[in-house]
Amino acid sequence: MMSDITSIPGDRPSAAPIKIFGFAAIFLALAILPFVWDNRFYISLITQIMIYGLLAMSLDVLLGYTGLLSFMHNAYLGIGAYMVGLFLIHVSPTSLWLACLVGVIFTGAVALPVGWVQVRTGGLAFALLTLAFGMMFHTIVWKWYSVTGGDDGLMGVPSPDIQLFRWTVGNTGDPTHIYLLTLVVVAICFVLTRRIIRSPFGAVLEAIRENEERAAFVGINVRRYKLYGWMLACILAGIAGALFILYKGYIGPTTMSAFAGAGVLMMVLLGGMGSLWGPLIGAGIFIYIQDYITTMTEHWEIYLGLVVILLVLFMPTGFVGMGSYLKRMRRN
Amino acid sequence: MEAFLCTDDLCRQFGGVTATDCVCIDIEESGLRSIIGPNGAGKTTFINIITGRIPASSGKVFFQGSDITNKPTHELVRMGICRTFQITSIFQNLTVFENVRIARQAHKGGSLKIFSTKRSLKNVSVDTWDILERLGLQDQAHQEAKNLAYGDQRVLEVAIAMAGSPQILFLDEPTAGMSPGETNHISRLIRGLAEEISIVLVEHDMDLVMSISDRITVLHYGSIIAEGLPEEIKTHQMVREAYLGKDA
Ligand SMILES: Nc1ncnc2c1ncn2[C@@H]1O[C@H](COP(=O)(O)OP(=O)(O)OP(=O)(O)O)[C@@H](O)[C@H]1O
Ligand SMILES: [Mg+2]
Repeated sequence: MMSDITSIPGDRPSAAPIKIFGFAAIFLALAILPFVWDNRFYISLITQIMIYGLLAMSLDVLLGYTGLLSFMHNAYLGIGAYMVGLFLIHVSPTSLWLACLVGVIFTGAVALPVGWVQVRTGGLAFALLTLAFGMMFHTIVWKWYSVTGGDDGLMGVPSPDIQLFRWTVGNTGDPTHIYLLTLVVVAICFVLTRRIIRSPFGAVLEAIRENEERAAFVGINVRRYKLYGWMLACILAGIAGALFILYKGYIGPTTMSAFAGAGVLMMVLLGGMGSLWGPLIGAGIFIYIQDYITTMTEHWEIYLGLVVILLVLFMPTGFVGMGSYLKRMRRN
Repeated sequence: MEAFLCTDDLCRQFGGVTATDCVCIDIEESGLRSIIGPNGAGKTTFINIITGRIPASSGKVFFQGSDITNKPTHELVRMGICRTFQITSIFQNLTVFENVRIARQAHKGGSLKIFSTKRSLKNVSVDTWDILERLGLQDQAHQEAKNLAYGDQRVLEVAIAMAGSPQILFLDEPTAGMSPGETNHISRLIRGLAEEISIVLVEHDMDLVMSISDRITVLHYGSIIAEGLPEEIKTHQMVREAYLGKDA
């Protein structure tokens, strides 16, 4: 019998002080950035990276931790974004938090019955179902002109003020303000998700990823926990969607296309799955390259595809794997 | 008296093959029952039906008086019906410790504590260490399961099943692939467990079966052809025929 419970080996170490320090340093650096660097274009680009980083991170909860492949996780960003936009347009143009809350709850309400069907499958069938549902959602927002604006997308979404306890701290129409709001929300989501992933609940998701049948044979209700993992991933995507519409003031159906879904998957793979922070880096690489190539040619997909192919061939475990590879190199 | 676990005309067909053929068995609430039979006799299939891995074609399974036929696996595990697999089934990329801990956590509860650390489930960790020490896996606790020697993976398989505090434990050829030392250790452990809980052991090593079983059931072409004490089975004419052919 172990007497010293605090030093139980075999457990992975919890966050080392150096990691907390590193996280705080990156957060502060990003928070200061817009005040020392007035290039609005890049501030805006980083905002977009953080939003897609959150989406890619939420996909990692499914892919890297629960072992479930979703081809169109962007659908849930889209659902959240449309709902927040519609609320701001039709219900109340100034209620930022209420709009976000409604948007995220609505995303969850859509994701729940979909997830109920999804978790009855696994592997390839699960992935195909995500495509089927995703394409349905895409077609609905594309064709339902009177509500979603169809092809033109949702335009004229108002920019509400950012209020904290009746104190107005900014406006979502201001690039710096929406940048800071995004930074804070993404940071909170990252910390919370990391906590959840390292909890006993996270251990259940990992067990399902490793061996679904064995998980059932230790007494885990696999479907139920897959559904919890799915809901967590979709709600995080909905939060990313709320940020997206506030940042852009616009959303069109292409954001919810299968093409865009593949992009999110690439972000996760580029960054390295199963780490949460890897996909954030992956989103950075993807969006930066995309932006860089777009300035040179309109056929950016071809070149981005080439870059992705090269990266996958030479960095098969993504950016995260690269880190541990270098560490091993240095040790030898 | 109500049986602890029993089956009533349990059948299972795979296409034209009848893998389990009207099996009626009664298992006591403690002791070691071995199920033997030639390859393809239907031993694994029989365990698969009872533990909810595959549905029965017909017939019923009763556990402590209630009908548990075709119940979901995780519910059966919660009722205390645990198993190991003939083909090793473990969590490859988790450490040995994590493998057993998740099984213990699933049994003890706490899986919905989404903001706690894994360490906060202290009882789970302590129990996990107990089990690892009991099975002699404590030195490999940090290793990822996939890096273990095959025999040690088999031991881990037993450890995971034991973490569920079973009332009845099905062991499908647990010692296949273990070293003689490990086999010896595990068989003594199984014998010890059988004093408290019910063990159903599928095993090909006849010396082992004869030495540790309380009762033996013999399956052949999916049906029970003999049942009794080890000495009775040893001399049973039909059993000899089943194993060695008619000329024996
Ligand atoms: N999933 C399946 N699909 C089709 N046939 C199966 C399946 N599982 C088992 N069988 C068949 O059922 C019969 C019994 O198989 P089972 O695995 O239960 O035997 P066993 O007694 O465990 O054999 P062994 O000693 O080799 O493990 C065999 O003829 C086998 O081919
Ligand atoms: Mg078998």
